[in-house]
Amino acid sequence: MAMKALDIYKHLPKTNCKKCGYPTCLAFAMKLAVGKADIEACPDIDPGAKALLGGVTRPPVRAVTIGAGERSVTVGEEFVMFRHEKTFYHPPGIMVEVSDTWPDDEVRSVVAEVREAVVERVGQDLVLNGVAVRNESGDADRFAETVYLAGGGTGLPLVLISDDLPGFEAALAVAGQYRPLIHAATADNWEPLAALAKQYGSPLVVRAGTLADLAALAGNCAGAGVADLLLDPAQGSLQGYIATATAIRRSAIERTEPALGYPIYLDAGTFKDTDAAVAAGILKYAGVIVTPRLSRASREAALTLRQNTYTDPQHPIQVAPGVYPVNDPGREAPVLLTVNFSLTYFTILGYLEASRMPCHLLIVDTEGLSVLTSVAGGKLTETIVADALKKFGVADLVDHRLLIIPGYAAPLTGKIEDATGWRVMVGPRDAADLPEYLEKEWKT
Amino acid sequence: MSENSSDKPAIREVRLGATRAEGGTREVSYVIGGEQGLPFCGNDPGRRLVALEICDDPAIWPPVVRNYVGDLANNPEDWAEAAERRYGADLVRLNFTSAKKRGFDAFAEIASTTERVLAATTRPLIIEGSNDPQVDSEVFRRCGEAGEGERLLLGTAEADRYRSVAAAALAYGHLVIAQSPIDVNLAKQLNILLRETGVPEDRIVIDPYTGALGYGFEYSYSVMERIRLAALAGDGDLAMPMISAPTDTLTIREVREAVPEEQDAMAVAWEFYTAYSAFVAGASIVSVRHPLTVERLKKVLEA
Repeated sequence: MAMKALDIYKHLPKTNCKKCGYPTCLAFAMKLAVGKADIEACPDIDPGAKALLGGVTRPPVRAVTIGAGERSVTVGEEFVMFRHEKTFYHPPGIMVEVSDTWPDDEVRSVVAEVREAVVERVGQDLVLNGVAVRNESGDADRFAETVYLAGGGTGLPLVLISDDLPGFEAALAVAGQYRPLIHAATADNWEPLAALAKQYGSPLVVRAGTLADLAALAGNCAGAGVADLLLDPAQGSLQGYIATATAIRRSAIERTEPALGYPIYLDAGTFKDTDAAVAAGILKYAGVIVTPRLSRASREAALTLRQNTYTDPQHPIQVAPGVYPVNDPGREAPVLLTVNFSLTYFTILGYLEASRMPCHLLIVDTEGLSVLTSVAGGKLTETIVADALKKFGVADLVDHRLLIIPGYAAPLTGKIEDATGWRVMVGPRDAADLPEYLEKEWKT
Repeated sequence: MSENSSDKPAIREVRLGATRAEGGTREVSYVIGGEQGLPFCGNDPGRRLVALEICDDPAIWPPVVRNYVGDLANNPEDWAEAAERRYGADLVRLNFTSAKKRGFDAFAEIASTTERVLAATTRPLIIEGSNDPQVDSEVFRRCGEAGEGERLLLGTAEADRYRSVAAAALAYGHLVIAQSPIDVNLAKQLNILLRETGVPEDRIVIDPYTGALGYGFEYSYSVMERIRLAALAGDGDLAMPMISAPTDTLTIREVREAVPEEQDAMAVAWEFYTAYSAFVAGASIVSVRHPLTVERLKKVLEA
C-alpha cells in the first residue's frame, strides 16, 4: 500500500541537499507520496531504503514513453480503476499496423494517414499515434527496410513486431535511437530481447497468457535492466482481455504485485471485431493499442471514445457562455436559453440543427451543471439570466422580447420575467421535443 | 474492492417476456441480471440482449435508418418481424412516436398496433410511450391491456411521470424502465418511488440515460459504472439490471453530415462504439436503431 509523506521522510537522508530538485527532503517525500517523483533522484539514499521506497512511491502504473520528439506518446502513470474516482491521465497510443510483406506504396499510405489524419472535436485535435511494423516476411533486411519506410521512428513512434532475433537487430539498427516499442519478450526469448532493449534504451513488451507468467517475465526483464515495460496478456477473447486487464490494473493500483505495475498492450487485430477490441482497450486500461487500418468512420468514433474516456470528470467539458447562432437566425428568430453543460448544449444543438429552425441559443454559465442540477443548486437564477442577456447584447439581436427556457427551469419563470422584463415561454424538458415545440408554439 | 463474494446474486434477476407456459405467447423469455462481479469479469453470467428500436410513425425517426429500412418504416408489423428474423435482434422496442404529436387521441390504434407487433414477433417486447403524462396514462393502459400476461417492458418512468407506467405495469403484470438523468442518487430515488407505488423490485430495469458518443457519453458511462459498483457493494435500491438506449447517436452532426455513401458506415460505427461501451459499463440490454448495428453487436457478444 502507499505510504504517507512522513513515513517516507523517515527513510530519506534528511540532508536537504536539493540534488533531487526539491528544496527539502520533506518536499521530496510529499511528491513521492503521491507518485509524482522518482526515488532515483535522491543521490544519497541507503540502498535498502531505496528498495523499500521504490516499490511504494512510484506511480502504481509506470509511465512509459514510446518514440521521440513531438509525436512521442507517454502511457501509464495511472492511479485509479474507474474514471469517476479521479481521472484517467494518459490516453492509449493507437498504432496502425503495416506488414513488411506489403508493397512500399501501401506502407507509405498508412504512414501518411497516421501522420495526417486529424479529428477536431471540442477544440482538441485527435490523432492516431504511431505505426506498428510487423515482420511477416521472415527476412531481417526486409523488416529493417519497412521500418525505414515507416520513417524509422524519426516522425511517428513505432512498434516493432517480430519473433525473430535477427529481425529485431536489423530493425533496431535503423530505428533504435528513437525508442521504438519492441514486441515481444516471451519465456523463450526474453534474455536476448531484454539485452537489446537495454542496449537501445527501448521499451519492451512482455507477453504471456497468465498473470503469474507475465509477472515473472516482467520481473526478469526489469532485473536485466529494462525499466520501461508493457504487459501483453495474450488473450483470445474480448471477455478474457477485459477480465485480465482489470486484474492487472487492480493489482497495480493496490500494489499487490509490483511486477504488474506497467501499462497494458492490446493487439486489436487478433479479435473477431476490431472496433470492439479497440473500444475495449480504450475503456479498459490499454496503454498501447495496435490495430489494422481503421475506416474513417471507425477512426472518428474510436478517437472520440478515447477523448470521452480520458476527459477529467472533475472538470466537465464546458461550453463558453454566449449567444450562438443556429441555422442563420434573423431578428425574428426565437431565443432559447440553456446551460453551459456540454452534454446539454450538444444535445440541443443536434436537434436544432436537424430541425433547420433558425434560432439564437443563449448559453449561461452554470459552471458546467445540467439544467436540473443547476436549478436545484441555485446555479441557474434570474440574476444570471438577466446578466447574460445584458452581457451578450441579446436585446440588440432580436426585435422581440421572448425567452424560451428549458422545461426543468419552469419554476424560475416569474422571477426571470421580473428581473429581465422579457416574457418567458417554458419549453420542453426533453431536447428531442424542441423542434415540434418551436413549430407549434413559436409565433412572434 | 467492493464485489459481493457471496453466492447470492448482487444484481437482481429480472424476467422479460412470457412464454405460453409462463402465461404469455412468446416463444422465448429472457432472464437478465444475476451478476456478482464487474461486467465481463468473474461471476458475470453474460446475459446481454440487443434490442432494435422501431416506431409507429417514422416522421421523427433518424433519416439514415428510414433510408436503410425503406418501406418497413411504414409498417411496424413488418419492421418488427424483420428486426427479429432478418436482423437478429433479441427483442423489439416499439416506440409510439405517433403519441408524441400534439392532440394525439388515436388510442384504439395503440392497442391494435401492440397486438399486431406482438403477433409479428416471437420475442419479448419493449414499449416506449410519449413524454406527456396525460397521454401516457392512456397509451400505457391500452398497450398494457393488449399485452396482458406478456411481461412487456414499459418505458420510460421518470421521477415526475412514473405513475401511469407503474399503474399499467401493476394492472397487467408488466415491467418498468426507470429512467433518471445521469445521476446515481436520482436513479436510486426513482427506484424507491416505484417500490412505494407497489412495483416489485424484480420488475424494474434502470435506464440511467445515455448521451451520444462525443456528446456527453462519458457521463453516461461513468454513471453506469457507479450504479453497478454501488449495487455490488450491497445497495439493494440500485441492484437492478440496466438498459441503455443511445437514442441521440444517429442524429449527431457526424452522422447527419456524412456523405451519402458513408452514412450507414458512420451511423453504425458511432452507434456500435457507444452500444458496446454501454455493455462494458454494465448494461444488460442495449437498444439501437440501425439494423447493421444489431448484427455486429450480436456477433461480438457471441464471440
